[in-house]
Amino acid sequence: MKRVLEGSQAVAEAVRLARVDVISAYPITPQTHIVEFLSEYCANGTMNARFLRVESEHSALATLIGAATTGVRTFTATSSQGLALMHELLHWSSGARVPIVMAEVNRALAPGWNIWTDQTDSLAQRDTGWIQLYCENGQEVIDTTIQAFRLGEWVNLPVMVVLDAFFLSHTYEPVDVPDQELVDRFLPPYAPKFQVDTEDPCAFGSLVTPNAYMEMRYNIAEAMEETLSRFQDVEDEYAAIFDRRYGSVEPVLCDDAEIVLVTSGTITSTSRQVIDDLRARGEKVGLLKIKLFRPFPVDIIRQVLKTAPKVAVIDRNISFGASGIFAQEVRAALCNLAGHPPVFGYIVGLGGRDVTADLLEDIYWRTKNNEAPEKESIWLGLQEV
Amino acid sequence: MAEKRESESVVPLLIPRSYMSTESNLTGSWRFLKPGYAEKTAPCSTACPAGEDIGQIEMLMTQGMFKEAWETILRENPFPAVCGRVCYHPCEGKCNRGEFDEAIAIHSIERFLADTASRNEFKPSIDKLPSKREKVAVVGAGPSGLAAAYFLTLLGYTCDVFESMPEAGGILRWGIPLYRLPVSVLRSEISRIEEMGVRIHTGKHISQDFIKEAISDYSAIFVGCGHSRTRRLNIPGEDIEGVENGFEFLRKIREGEKPSFDGLVAVIGGGNTAVDVARNIIRLGGKSLIVYRRRRQDMPAFDQEIQMAIEERVEIRELLAPAKVEFNGNEYTLTVQHMKVAGKDVDGRAAIEPEGDKTEEIKVQRIFKAIGEEAAEAWYNPPDKEENMLTLGNSVLVNSSRGAALIFGGDLTNKTKSVVHAVASGKEAAIALDIFFHEGFDAIESRLETCAVGDGPPLSMEVYMGGPRSQRKRHVVVYNEINTDYFQLIPRVTQPRLLIEERLKTFEEIDLKISANLAMREAERCFNCGLCNQCDNCYLFCPDLSVIRDNSSQGRHINYDYCKGCGLCVVECPRNAMVLEEEGQ
Amino acid sequence: MELNVLDEEYMYPGHVACPGCGAAIAMRFFLKALGDKMIIVLPACCWSVIAGPYPQSTLKVPVIHSAFETGGAVASGVRAALDVKGDTETTVVTWAGDGGTFDIGFQALSGAVERNEDFIYVCYDNEAYMNTGIQRSSSTPYGAWTTTTPGSEWKKMRKKNIVEALVAHRIPYAATANIAFPEDLVRKTKKAKAIKGSRFLHIYATCPTGWRIPSEISVKIARMAVQTNIFPLYEVEDGVKYTINYKPKEYPVREYFKLQGRFKHLTDQDLKHIQDMVDEDRELLLRKAGEHS
Repeated sequence: MKRVLEGSQAVAEAVRLARVDVISAYPITPQTHIVEFLSEYCANGTMNARFLRVESEHSALATLIGAATTGVRTFTATSSQGLALMHELLHWSSGARVPIVMAEVNRALAPGWNIWTDQTDSLAQRDTGWIQLYCENGQEVIDTTIQAFRLGEWVNLPVMVVLDAFFLSHTYEPVDVPDQELVDRFLPPYAPKFQVDTEDPCAFGSLVTPNAYMEMRYNIAEAMEETLSRFQDVEDEYAAIFDRRYGSVEPVLCDDAEIVLVTSGTITSTSRQVIDDLRARGEKVGLLKIKLFRPFPVDIIRQVLKTAPKVAVIDRNISFGASGIFAQEVRAALCNLAGHPPVFGYIVGLGGRDVTADLLEDIYWRTKNNEAPEKESIWLGLQEV
Repeated sequence: MAEKRESESVVPLLIPRSYMSTESNLTGSWRFLKPGYAEKTAPCSTACPAGEDIGQIEMLMTQGMFKEAWETILRENPFPAVCGRVCYHPCEGKCNRGEFDEAIAIHSIERFLADTASRNEFKPSIDKLPSKREKVAVVGAGPSGLAAAYFLTLLGYTCDVFESMPEAGGILRWGIPLYRLPVSVLRSEISRIEEMGVRIHTGKHISQDFIKEAISDYSAIFVGCGHSRTRRLNIPGEDIEGVENGFEFLRKIREGEKPSFDGLVAVIGGGNTAVDVARNIIRLGGKSLIVYRRRRQDMPAFDQEIQMAIEERVEIRELLAPAKVEFNGNEYTLTVQHMKVAGKDVDGRAAIEPEGDKTEEIKVQRIFKAIGEEAAEAWYNPPDKEENMLTLGNSVLVNSSRGAALIFGGDLTNKTKSVVHAVASGKEAAIALDIFFHEGFDAIESRLETCAVGDGPPLSMEVYMGGPRSQRKRHVVVYNEINTDYFQLIPRVTQPRLLIEERLKTFEEIDLKISANLAMREAERCFNCGLCNQCDNCYLFCPDLSVIRDNSSQGRHINYDYCKGCGLCVVECPRNAMVLEEEGQ
Repeated sequence: MELNVLDEEYMYPGHVACPGCGAAIAMRFFLKALGDKMIIVLPACCWSVIAGPYPQSTLKVPVIHSAFETGGAVASGVRAALDVKGDTETTVVTWAGDGGTFDIGFQALSGAVERNEDFIYVCYDNEAYMNTGIQRSSSTPYGAWTTTTPGSEWKKMRKKNIVEALVAHRIPYAATANIAFPEDLVRKTKKAKAIKGSRFLHIYATCPTGWRIPSEISVKIARMAVQTNIFPLYEVEDGVKYTINYKPKEYPVREYFKLQGRFKHLTDQDLKHIQDMVDEDRELLLRKAGEHS
C-alpha cells in the first residue's frame, strides 16, 4: 500500500513487517525517529517485540548479540558516534555469526558535532564483517531492510542497511509498504542455526588458540563470498513477490559511456538527473550506482567498468592518509584487470554539505578534461578559509 | 505462511562453540605437593596410660553409636565404668580443646557409656584371637591382675586369677570408698571379664612356693598383688593402740564395718589413701585433719580428690611432719614439727627441712597413718637387677631359666599408683608375654614400640592386633594444627553432684549421671584431633572437584588425575586428618 | 558447622584455574545453589579462560562469552529473547570479575539494574584485573600492591563499594557473599533465584596468585576478611532494608594483612589507618542496618 513516509518510518515499517523479536537501540540524531516509531509500535501492540532502552549503543549491540544467540530476530539502528562506539561489537557480531540487522544512518563524525550526512561512519567499519547495503530512496530502504533479514539469516552474517542522514532519513516520499501476508511469505520465521539451549549446553565464543582461529575467520570470509550469490537469490525471491529489484550495482547507460560516474546513497538520485542532462547535450556519460558495498561485488564492477575509458568515483567520505573509500575499493577491484581505466576520485559533501547537480557536472568536466587523475582524491566544494 | 525455503548456506558454520568437557586436561600433572588422607594421634590418647582411642570414642558418641563407642573403650581398657568414676583423667589435661575453651569432659562421657552399656545389657563384640595353648596364672584380682587376665584372654590365652580376699577387685573392692565407686558397678565390670572365660579363684592366697611349682601348669605368672602394707612412720608412739593404718581402715569399711567417730581425727599423709580416710571419717561423724609434711601442691593425691575433700570440710595443714604420739587415756597428742621449703627435690616437689625447733601439739581423738604403702610380702617386688630381666614402662618381666616367666605389674612397678596405670600394666604384660611366647625375649622391646600410641608411653591392643587404628600416623596433633575457625566457644558440660550437705551424710555415689543429650553435646565439642569424622570440608572446598565421595571406609578419595595440590583440603580439615607431602614420595 | 550443600556438580574438573582459586570455588557453590536451567553470560575475566578453550567447556550449563564491558547488556538481551520465546524457567546469570563489574562493565551493569532487568549478576571479586596480570581495579583494596600500583605507588584509594552503588539504584536484591561461608552463599543464591528483577551477588574470591599467598590458605584468608569486618556479610532488599548476616568476633585487621604478600610493605601506621577506615565503614553499615556498635 502506497504511503508517504519519512525514510525513518520506512525502516520502522520494514522492522514491523519482518516481525522482529527484540529491538535494542540508543537514540542519536538522526536515527531517533526510527527508534521512536518502533517504541510506539511496541508500546501499542502493533509489534510483539521487546524494546530494550539501553544506556549506550555499545550496550545496544551487546544486548542483541545476547538475544540473537538465544535464537530470536533482532534489530538496532544507529549513526556516527553510536556506530563508532559499537565498533568492538561490530566485529563481535560477525565473529559470533549472528544475523543482526542494523539501520545505519550515515552521519558525520565528531569533533565538530555534525549531525548531517557523511558516509565515513559506516565505511570506517568496512572491515568488521558486516554486509553493507547503501540505499537511495525510501522504497529501497523498506525493501532492503526486509531483505536484510532474509539475507543475514541465510549466511549468518549481520547486515547494515545504510541511509543518508536527513536527505533520506527525514525526507518524505511515497513508499509502497508491502502487505504483512506477502512479507510473511517472503521472510519465514527465524530458524536459528544455533542457539543457547539448556537441554543441550555448550559454550559460545570461548578462548580460541592459534590452531583453531584461522579456520573460523576463513569461514566468515567464505560466507561473505557466498553472500554475493545469495544477495542475488534474495532479490529474485523478493522480485517474484513484489516485482522490485535493485541489483548489487545498478549500471545506467554504461555500455557506451566514456566516463562512468560511480555513486552511492542519495547522491545517486541527483546523478541520474545530471547524466540525463549531459546525455541530452551529447556527452557520453554513464552512472554506476553501488548498492552492495560489502561484500564488494568485484566481478560485476569489473565487468561494467572494464571498457569504460574513465571512471569517476564520488565519495562522501574520506579515509585519512589514503583517499575516498569507494574510490579505493573500485581501484582495488580494477587493478588486476589488464588495461583497466584510470579512476578519478572526488571527495564531496562531507558533513552534510550539499552535493548539487552543478557540482556533479563539474566532476564530469574535470574528469573529461584530465588525462589522468592528479591525485587519488580531489576535494571539491571547499571554501576559502 | 511462508513456504519451506532454502536457507542453508553452502558453507557449514564454523563458530567457537564448545561441547567437550575439560576432563581431558589431567591437571594433576601440575602438582608438586600431594594431599592425602592420614589419620593421626590425638594427644588425649597419648596422655591416657591405657592409650584409649578417645577421639574415636567421642566421634562415635556424637553419632549415637553408644555400643560401638563403649567397645572402643573396651579394646584398650576393661574398666570403663570404674575409670569413668575414679580415674584422675590425665587425658583431659592434654585435651587440645582446653586451649580453645575448656577440655572435653572425657571421664563423664566414659562413665555415661559404661552405665548405658550396663543398663541396656550390651554384650561387647570385640576382636579376640583364636585360642592358644599357653596358660597364664595371675596373682591378685586387683585392677592390674584383672586387666592382665582380660588382655591375655583377648590374645587367646587361658587365665587363672588367684585372689586372697573373698571377692575380686583388689583396691577397687577393698580400698576405694563407695561414694567414689559403688559395688554394683564394680561387680558388673568383673562379671563381664568372667564371661570372657577368665577364671577367678577367690579366697586363695598364693605363696612363693606356688611360683616355683607353677611351671608345670602355667607358662607365665603375672604378679599384681599391689601395695597393701602401710609404711611405718618411725616415730615414738606409733604403735600405741588406736593409732591405725589408714589402708587397713579403708578395707574394714569396705568389709562392712561402720565405726563411728566424734571429735577431731588426724590423718597423717598426703596420698589418695589419706584423703579417702579423711573423707570416710567425715561421713562417719568425725572431723578430719590431714597433716602433711610438704606443701599442699606436693600432695600425691589426685587434685580432684583433694578438692572434694576440702569441700567436705576436711582440713589440710601443710608443712607439718609427725614427730611423736602420746596417749593420756582420753585423747592423743600428736606432736608435729613445722617444716619449711628448702629448694626442690629431684621429682620437682619441695625439699623440706625443719623450721628450727618449732613444734606444735595437736590434740585428737584418733590418728591414722597413711604415708604410703608397700608390698605385703617381699617376693611381690620385682628383683632389683637380674639376668634376663626387662624393665618396661609399666611392668617388669623376668625370664626365669628355671620356671615360668614372671611378670610384675600394677602398684608393684608403677611410679604413679592409679587404676589406669594398673590397666596399662596388665596390657603391657599381656602383649609382652605374647611377644615373648612367639618371638622370644629379645623381640619384646622393639615389638612393643611398634604398638605405642603416638610417641608413647601408652600401648594400644588394637594396634598390636593390627586393627584399623594401626593405620594411623603416630604424629600427635597439637592445638595449632587444629583449624579452630570451625568451632565455636561452648562451655563444658557440668556433671551434677550431690550437694555437699548430702554428701556428708551418706556413702552414696557423689557424681550423678548425665543424660544422653548432654553426653552427646559434650562429645560434639571434641575436635577429634587427627581423625576423619566425614565432615566433607575437603570435598566442599576443592576448586578442582577432585575429592570424590565413595563407599570406602574413608568415605572419599582424591582424584589425583586432577588434583593440583593446592592444599586447601588439608588446611580446611578442622582436625588435621590429612597430610600434604611432596609429590613423588 | 553443618554444611548442607547439594551433591550435584555443574562443572567438570580439568579446568585451568590456579591451584586454590577462589573463583573456581565460588562458581562451584553458586552452580550448586542455582541448579540447572540457567544461561551464563561470561564477560572477559579469569573465568573466560577457566571456562575452557575451544572446543572445551568446563561448565555443564550454557555459556555465552561476551566482550569485557557487556556483562549487563548481553544478559539483558538474553532475557528479552527468553521472554519472547515464553521461557519463564531459565535464569539468566552474568558471571563477571571485578574489572567487568566495577570498572569497564559498570555502565552496562548500572544500565541493566536501572531498567530492573530480570537477571542475577554475580561479581566474583579477586580485587584486581587478575586475568591480564594483576593490574589494579577500583575494587583493589587500599594498601595493595598490584603491577600498576607497584612500590611506593601502592593503591591509596579505597575500594569502591559496588553493593552500595547498586543499592542506590534501588536494586531489588544485593548481597555480599564469601567462599569461606558456603551455606550463606547458597542461601543467598537461592533467595536471589526466587526474586524477580535485578539481583546482585558480590562474592569475595581469594586469588592466591595475585595476592601472593600460599594456595592452601585461600579459604582461610577469605574467612578472615569477614572476621575482621573488611568484607562484611550483609544483604540489602529493595535498596532500603539492610540485614547484617554475621557478627564476627571482630579481629583486628593486622593478621589479615600480614598474611598476604600484596600488603607486606604496609607499616604499622598504615595498618592503623586501615583499621580506622574499616571501623568507620563498619559504623556506617551498622547505622544503615539500624543498629549500633
